[in-house]
Amino acid sequence: MINLTINGIQRSFEGDEEMPLLWHLREDAGLKGTKFGCGIGQCGACTVHVDGEATRSCSVPMASLNGTAITTIEGLADGDNLHPVQEAWLEEDVPQCGYCQAGQITATAAFLKNTPNPTDDDINEGITNICRCGTYFRIRKAIKRAAENMQNA
Amino acid sequence: MTALSRRNFLKSGTAFAGLTVLVSNSPALLATDSELHHGIGPCLRFSSEGLPILCVPTPDMGQGMMTTAAQIIAEELDLELSAVSVEFLPFVGVIDENGVAQDGDLIQGAGGSHSTMTLWPALRKTSAYVRALFIEAAAQQWAVSSNSLFTDDGYVINRKTGAQLSFGELDDAVQTVSLDKQTIELKPIKDFKVVGKDATNVAARDIVTGEPVFASDIEVPGMLHAAIRRCPHLNGKIVSFNKGTIEQLLGVVAVEKIDRYPEEREEFRVLSDGVAVIAKTYWQARKAADALEIEWDGDISKDDSTDLILEKCNALLKNGEFKQVQKRGDVDAAFERADKTIDVTYTHPSWAHTCIEPHNCIADVKTDTAEIWVGHQTMSRPANIAKKFAGIDAAKVTGHFYRMGTGFGRKYVEDFVAEAVILSKRVRAPVKVTWSREDEIEQDYPNHMGAYRVRAAIDDKGDLSGWHIKTALDTGRDWVARDFPANTMDNTLGEVARVPNNISRGAWRGPSHNTGAWVVQSALNEAAYAAGRDPLEFLVALYKQTGTVRAPNWPNMDIDFRRHAAMLEKVASESGYGKKMPSGWGHGIAVHHTFVGTCAHVIELEMVGDNDYRVHKVTSAIDCGLAVNPLGVRAQVESGIMDGLCAAKYGNLVFENGVPVTNNFDSYRKMRIDEAPAVVDVHIMDFGDTDPKGTGEISLPPLIPALTNAIFAASRKRVRTLPISENL
Repeated sequence: MINLTINGIQRSFEGDEEMPLLWHLREDAGLKGTKFGCGIGQCGACTVHVDGEATRSCSVPMASLNGTAITTIEGLADGDNLHPVQEAWLEEDVPQCGYCQAGQITATAAFLKNTPNPTDDDINEGITNICRCGTYFRIRKAIKRAAENMQNA
Repeated sequence: MTALSRRNFLKSGTAFAGLTVLVSNSPALLATDSELHHGIGPCLRFSSEGLPILCVPTPDMGQGMMTTAAQIIAEELDLELSAVSVEFLPFVGVIDENGVAQDGDLIQGAGGSHSTMTLWPALRKTSAYVRALFIEAAAQQWAVSSNSLFTDDGYVINRKTGAQLSFGELDDAVQTVSLDKQTIELKPIKDFKVVGKDATNVAARDIVTGEPVFASDIEVPGMLHAAIRRCPHLNGKIVSFNKGTIEQLLGVVAVEKIDRYPEEREEFRVLSDGVAVIAKTYWQARKAADALEIEWDGDISKDDSTDLILEKCNALLKNGEFKQVQKRGDVDAAFERADKTIDVTYTHPSWAHTCIEPHNCIADVKTDTAEIWVGHQTMSRPANIAKKFAGIDAAKVTGHFYRMGTGFGRKYVEDFVAEAVILSKRVRAPVKVTWSREDEIEQDYPNHMGAYRVRAAIDDKGDLSGWHIKTALDTGRDWVARDFPANTMDNTLGEVARVPNNISRGAWRGPSHNTGAWVVQSALNEAAYAAGRDPLEFLVALYKQTGTVRAPNWPNMDIDFRRHAAMLEKVASESGYGKKMPSGWGHGIAVHHTFVGTCAHVIELEMVGDNDYRVHKVTSAIDCGLAVNPLGVRAQVESGIMDGLCAAKYGNLVFENGVPVTNNFDSYRKMRIDEAPAVVDVHIMDFGDTDPKGTGEISLPPLIPALTNAIFAASRKRVRTLPISENL
């Protein structure tokens, strides 16, 4: 049995431990914000936090997750108060189709914890999620805006 | 439904049941056309709390139609966009005499960058009519002339007394009112408050909070999951598979063979031979499908390798038979008289769509009815697919439509819907089909590949005096051989030939234009250098003298090429084109008209070593007619820029012996933020148009020649073969 918390809620899992976390989130926990994009950890649409670290959930088997704390896009906001990264995404009007953006936002939230005042080079190295609409120009602006807002908060 | 600010719309607090006369509450198709759904107010309804909901008829795949259409509706209804919710309108077309679902006045499909342009008159009319009904209802209630009333932010207001009634309070009254639709006046442009102003994506809050707004997020009771192993060999067949073993695996409900459709393999492929595993959960289906041992017969396409196909295209250019598709004047004489000539050949491979949301669909097929949950570029087609593949009358099909995680033309087709319909019918339960990334690339309808030979003649004045273009492609598309400048100048010849293969090609963002513009704008750039002229000055002179010419290709618009010249001058001045730059830096310029809009770019880049480069800045100008949502237009231009930069540098769907082998993001490379230009400066041209044109595909085609022209300016290396990463 695997015990873990997802967005602060204790859950246990007794199924196929080879199953990637992504499908536990989407199918068992009903959290659809985390997306399937490639299944090989390349695109980052499935990014969540595992014990605070940005992790590509399509490539993490349930077997490795006993005792961990997972945060998904649904757990990022504090009630109606959005996370500063979510706010910055709205302010810069980042989403086009929107499919990859939950992964982009969770990746950025973890990134800014470790790199609160990122340079362009930091962003280039630290954010590697694919956006097929090509919103990178606005993502870069939103990352900087979020960083600024978090430092001023 | 996408909720914007939840501001209480109804100050009176009146609860109302909904404008039943005006509103489509039924998502089912109508068997006949009717006044109810045809051109009258289907775009507004009220929630049970009395909040207005704007109903957008066209799919959104990231091109922003949900926001753009909501702006148009809100404008003519005199509603503030921030005070409403927005949702997709169900299909409201009609079933024709052949039982086929067809669009009505409100075209419910997205393709060819046409959505805004085609919806514009219909949405304005339908919304203006509803607003007029509210005014008339208030006039009757107050027993005053409607001329003394006006609307503002959801209220009808009496100009003299200041009395006001909300649209909601007029619910009962409006149902008995009708007006002559011919007398309805649209709002003058000078009074616009919403159209022409920046509007952020109406779905943004749902997106950033992870709300289930995509079809792949939907679950229906009793739903089973299907994972399908489709034949990776183009037009291949299944010889055998271990059905019995797989049927025993945990959670597996059924193992079903799907047959190639249509059966004749020379026909465009709708479905590949495949084996579907249907299970209780997606993971069970996926795992069991991966355990399938399938023997394929791929003999039919064993010669279909990218290298070999491109070799054939190039060989054809040298000594093959061509069909003339454009001929003006005497091209041979022009070359005989020429002071200088160029003779250059360009080659490019196929590109995959790589839609970020892998295709998916839920179908629940019953004896006489069906329900479908899908994100699709057309809202009529899913009903017709249920008719074709399960024999369900299209009028008995209920469609639920969601935003798409990109489409790019790929989600215009039948396959992923057909699979769900076929499997649901067989297992008599709702079935969700979810494609893997490998499926999405292997079973793609990719962009064409091929080679192009361009000869250009330059006279003793340094002007372009002859143009001879031959295209040898793996598609029958002949746009580039027929169009500018082959159709606009004297002494031209356009010829086409085709190298057949087993690939079923499809529409990829800016079909034909996406690579045709690269060929034409590269060759014109080469011609300018050959003439000893600056490319900007050469192009501006060429376009200025061209004037207005009707495009020889769909949708055959009249194109005023003087606008091209103005746009070139705009991006040149905004970018500092021609300024002194360090060694290894360069500016590249290009312009192109795609379907219904024109875009020009200047790219500023720096060479990184001999074989790589970094794009620092892109300066763009777009002519999209009236820009309904300037913020959204800029987003689409930015998107086309990234898509073009990525396709040009890395796009290479490699076929080896009939198998697409670059089938995931580890081998089919997509650009990430580290290669995105830090500065993108988009200018929306105002040529005084009072109607919108198109945006979604427009910026991509001229981007690629602007890029390769910039590489030449920076390095004197001419890229004539894509992808750039493998040929610089």
